[in-house]
This record gives sequence, C-alpha cells and structure tokens, in this order.
Amino acid sequence: MTATEPDNLVLTPRDVQWDWTGLPMHYIDGDPFTTHFANVLNILLPEGEDWFITVFQQAVPMIKDDRLREDVIGFIGQEATHSASHQTVLTHFRKVGFDTSPYTDQLRWFFSKMLGDRELTGKKAQGWIIDRIAIIAAIEHVTAYLGDWILNAEAIDRTDHNPEILDLYRWHGAEEVEHRAVAYDLFTHLDGRYRNRVRAHVVAFPVLVYWWVRGLRYLMAADPERIAGRDKPRFRDWFRASRKGVLPSPKSLVRLYFGYLRPGYHPSQYGSTTQAVAYLAASPAARAAHR
Amino acid sequence: MSTETETGTETRTGSRTRTGAGTGDDLRTPPPRSATDPRPDPILALLARVTPFLLWQSARRKRREPRPVDRSLRLVVTEVRQEAEDVVSLRFTAADGSPLPGWHPGSHLDLDLPSGRRRQYSLCGDPADRTTYRIAVRRLAHGDGGSREIHETLTPGTELRAHGPRNAFAYAPGGACLFIAGGIGITPILPMVRAAAAAGADWRLVYTGRSRATLPFLDEIDAIGAMAGASGRVTVRTDDTDGIPTPEQLLSGAGRGTSVYFCGPPPLITAVRDAFPTTGAGGLHFERFAAAPVVDGTPFELQLGPDGPVLPVPADRSALSVLAEQRPETGYSCRQGFCGTCRLPVLAGEVAHAGSPTARRTDTNMLICVSRAASEGGRITLDV
Repeated sequence: MTATEPDNLVLTPRDVQWDWTGLPMHYIDGDPFTTHFANVLNILLPEGEDWFITVFQQAVPMIKDDRLREDVIGFIGQEATHSASHQTVLTHFRKVGFDTSPYTDQLRWFFSKMLGDRELTGKKAQGWIIDRIAIIAAIEHVTAYLGDWILNAEAIDRTDHNPEILDLYRWHGAEEVEHRAVAYDLFTHLDGRYRNRVRAHVVAFPVLVYWWVRGLRYLMAADPERIAGRDKPRFRDWFRASRKGVLPSPKSLVRLYFGYLRPGYHPSQYGSTTQAVAYLAASPAARAAHR
Repeated sequence: MSTETETGTETRTGSRTRTGAGTGDDLRTPPPRSATDPRPDPILALLARVTPFLLWQSARRKRREPRPVDRSLRLVVTEVRQEAEDVVSLRFTAADGSPLPGWHPGSHLDLDLPSGRRRQYSLCGDPADRTTYRIAVRRLAHGDGGSREIHETLTPGTELRAHGPRNAFAYAPGGACLFIAGGIGITPILPMVRAAAAAGADWRLVYTGRSRATLPFLDEIDAIGAMAGASGRVTVRTDDTDGIPTPEQLLSGAGRGTSVYFCGPPPLITAVRDAFPTTGAGGLHFERFAAAPVVDGTPFELQLGPDGPVLPVPADRSALSVLAEQRPETGYSCRQGFCGTCRLPVLAGEVAHAGSPTARRTDTNMLICVSRAASEGGRITLDV
C-alpha cells in the first residue's frame, strides 16, 4: 500500500438505476462469445450475491469488532444492489424473449439447498457459517480481480460497445475493489486458519469455473440471435478475445488461482482503491444515485 | 417456505433468511441437465453427494472464539481555538501519549461527547502528524445540540472517546482537481488541497461562504496559495460581496476530465450534482450521508410472528432499530429503503410502504428500515 492510497473507507451501497431499452443482444464488440462471457455475471450474480447476503447476515452477530461489523453491513448493502442491478438485465432479457430461468433455477438449487443453512444448530451451525464465509472470501478474490481487470480494460472502450452496461460492470467492479478485503477480514476474524482458507478456495474456484462454463454454454445456445456455427463456446474464441484485451486471459486466471495460496496473501495487495474511488465518482449511474 | 423455488426469476419473493432450511429431500434430486434433458445433472449430483462429507468435516473442525477488538481511542483536548465567527478548532492527542492511527484526506472521526451524543467531524489537520488530530466545528444555534455542546463544554484537558478515523470522502490523487468548499465544508477539503499542492498537482480551490469573517482557515489557505506555483489557484467568494453563487459559477473552473471535490451545505450539493453533467468534468466526489433520523413518524407496534412478542415502535425510531435491538441477527444495510436487505414478509397489519418497490419485491414484504404502520398505533405482524 502506498502512502497515497486511501484506506478505512466507509462502505455504503449506492442507489443506482438502470434502463436497458435498446440494449443490443451482442453488446461488446458485436461478439456473442465475449458478450455471453460477461452475461454469465448477470445470471450468476443475482443468486450468488443473495447467498452471500444470507450467510453474512448470520455472521453479523458473531463479530466482535465494531469496525469490521460496519464494513460487513456496508458490504451486504453493496452486494444487494449488485444482485438487484444484474437482475434488471435478466428482466430485460426475458422481455426480449431470452429466457435464462433454466440456468438460474439450477443455480438457486445449488445456493439455497446445497449451500443453504441446513438444519444445524449451535456450534455446527456456526461452523457451517464460517466455512461458507471462507468460500465467499475465496470468491471475492476472483471478483476483486475481475473488478480491477474491467476498470483497466481500455480495449473495450475502443470496441463497439454499449456504454451503459459497461458502466454496470465497472460500477460493480469498482465496488468489488472498494470492499475487496471485507470477506477476507471477516474470515480472519472468525477463523483465520490458512488450512481452512485454502481448502475452501481449492474447491470453490473450480466450482465457480464450472458454473461459468455452464452458464456460457447455456447462454450461447439459448441466445435468440445466435449465429449458426458460433453458438458454442470455443477456447480459441477466448484466446482471441483475451489477446484483443476484451476478456481476461486464461493464463491470468491460473495466476489468480495460485495467488490465493500464498501464506502472506491479503486482498489489499491487489487492485487500487484510488482507481475504484475515481471510477465511482465518474460512473454515470453511481453519480446519479441520490442515496 | 418454498416461494424461492416456485417462483421465476422476475418474481422472487420471500425472505432471504429462510431459504434452504429443512430441505433434505430436494438435495438428492438436483435439477436437470438442460431444458431438453430431464436427467439429473451429473456434476451437481456428485456435489450433492460430497456435501454431507463437507458438513461432517465442518462440524469436527476446531474453532476458536473470535478475539474482541476494541478500536476506540481515548483522546484529550489540547487546544480550543476560535477560527472564525462561530467556528472553533479543537486539537486532540491520545490520552496516553501514544501515536494516533494514520489517516488520509477526507477522513472523519466519530466523537462520543460527554452527553452521550455521537457526532462525526472531518479531520482538518496534517495527516503526517501522528500525535495530533484537529477538527473544526461551527456552532449551529438551531442544530441538535452537538455543536453547542462542543463550543460550550469542551476545554483543554477534557477527555473523550472517539472512533475511527474512517473515510467516506476519499481523495483519489491524479489529474486536475477542482476543490469546492462551502463554509465549514472546508474541513475535509483542506487536507486534500495540501496534498494536491505538495504533490505539484494541477488544482484549484473555490471557497465560498456568507462573509470573510465566517470562513475558517483563510490564513492557512493564503499560505498554501502563496506557495510556489500556486498563484491564482485559490478563489474566495463571499455572499456579501459577490452574491449567492450559482452551481455553474462554482463549477466554472472544471475543465474536461477534472475531478471535482465538493463539500458544503446539502442544498448546494444537490444543485452542484444537477449542474455537473454539463461541465464535461471527469468525476464528482462528495460525502455521502448516512440515513437521516426519523422525522414526523408516528408510534406503532411490531409483532414478531403470529404468537410472538409485541414491541412498541416510538415515533422517533424505525421498526428496524427496535427489531435489531431484540434480534441482533436482523439484516440491514442502507437504512434508506433501497438495498432491500431488511425486507421482511408481513403476516398482518397495514403498512405505509416507503422506499423502493423493487427492493421490497412484493407488497407482502416490508422494508423495515423506512416503512411504518399505515395508522398511528397500528400493529404489524412480521413473519420472523
């Protein structure tokens, strides 16, 4: 951390509004692969972030540090507005005849049943909360990386793209960078063992990749404007898009995976709060948010 | 409660806190592979088989109790100084003489006043000085008493508890900056101006107020303005000689891509925000305020479940604050009715809905942070 990087930020949700009227189906670079790679966020996050919130709410009474409790409460509100914002994209998709519910139903089963509360009580219930916080901390490592990546992905600005949805991703990314340490710090406060942190990551990361690939395949196949021969994700599409700078590269994700294994890891070592703060001041949606 | 599984993506209802409870059977039947293939998804089926093992492992893992962390500060007032009409500055050091936590421009301190009031004040001293904090307070004759208490009761030697510093108005260095301060709004801006001047950045300051006599720190600002390369960067404009400023006048120094930092009275913030998009400036930074206190509320009752206890909600408190006192696990975040975290299903009673309809999802839910009973003394039964 440099001397000029602001810290101890008060995390507050922003009351953002979105209107997707006229959003083209392939809104980044006119490319189905790139667009649907990004669209996975829209179908994954409303469910995933709702689950984050459920787990974090249960952790609040366990926290014995006032500052961390404030951070967690701010985090919950930011995640809630992220979830609701991505949901507006899904509502728009449904309106234009793009049904994503088969995928989201599966995801809901996954989060609310498999990773749900179960019928646990006492210590067991607390342990299950902490294990899920370890999973969330591992996922936040990925979201903070993606947030930092999208803030710096200048190549997208040079392509044909929809500026409002790019603002959605960048606003979300900037808030992910802003609150990137909260889940990790919460895990450290409640448990903090290296073994438990890494165990959650080793499982969560591949499962996240699985859901991503699944979502991408679903979206490309169900796309109402799909182009014959380009309705399946291919590795070469990913390589091409990442070389162009409009998607993160496979190699960077491998580095990301191993980065979390370092014993001295802390989320503040990645990304720039200054850049996130600057983007949130410039984002049309965040600036228009009156609360 | 099964609403989560029955409803589609658009009509998600129900309370979050209940999802996933008691669903042993569903676990063994994962969703189908795809819309056309009804067989259970093999990967999800596999995951469903391994989770009991994960749970078993989770239950036998050793845990430690979280260590309580007390971050509050014991401060002692070392100096109280008149800075302008109705404005005093206060300096604090740690009561035990130890170094104080570091901070960045835009940070504030939460002070616990002797009366028990807690108030936030921006730090306006030098971030490099780790022994002293400085704040400045304008006496508001018609305020809620916090500023009067500071002006009337705090003297050198008074000890106070404080929390922080925290930053809700972060300064992101880089590029050209226009700082706009209205009156006492200079407090968070002053350290930013110093940092920008020290870094040799391209900056401007517009400092506005009723009259020069009411503006604190003019001497310090003159000193910064007199530094090499800073001539013409500071504009002081007062209502008595220049008239009340329009937002366009305040923003006139903002070129393309300039970052604007603004702190001043709330009506002026709204005006500046509305005028901002026409300037072409890069970003607008302002301090976001926490939830406003409840005004013109009426008392009502909150029942927790059909046979649950009944809690009275006084006129000046929200249902959330009353419920959270009883049940610390109550979720909330924005406290302004838009994030939806505190949404709870209502079983009975008429609710005067406030806040965002999207955040409450359906009218059978209630945002307990802002909504109240429709009639005075009414009773709302929540499904908790």
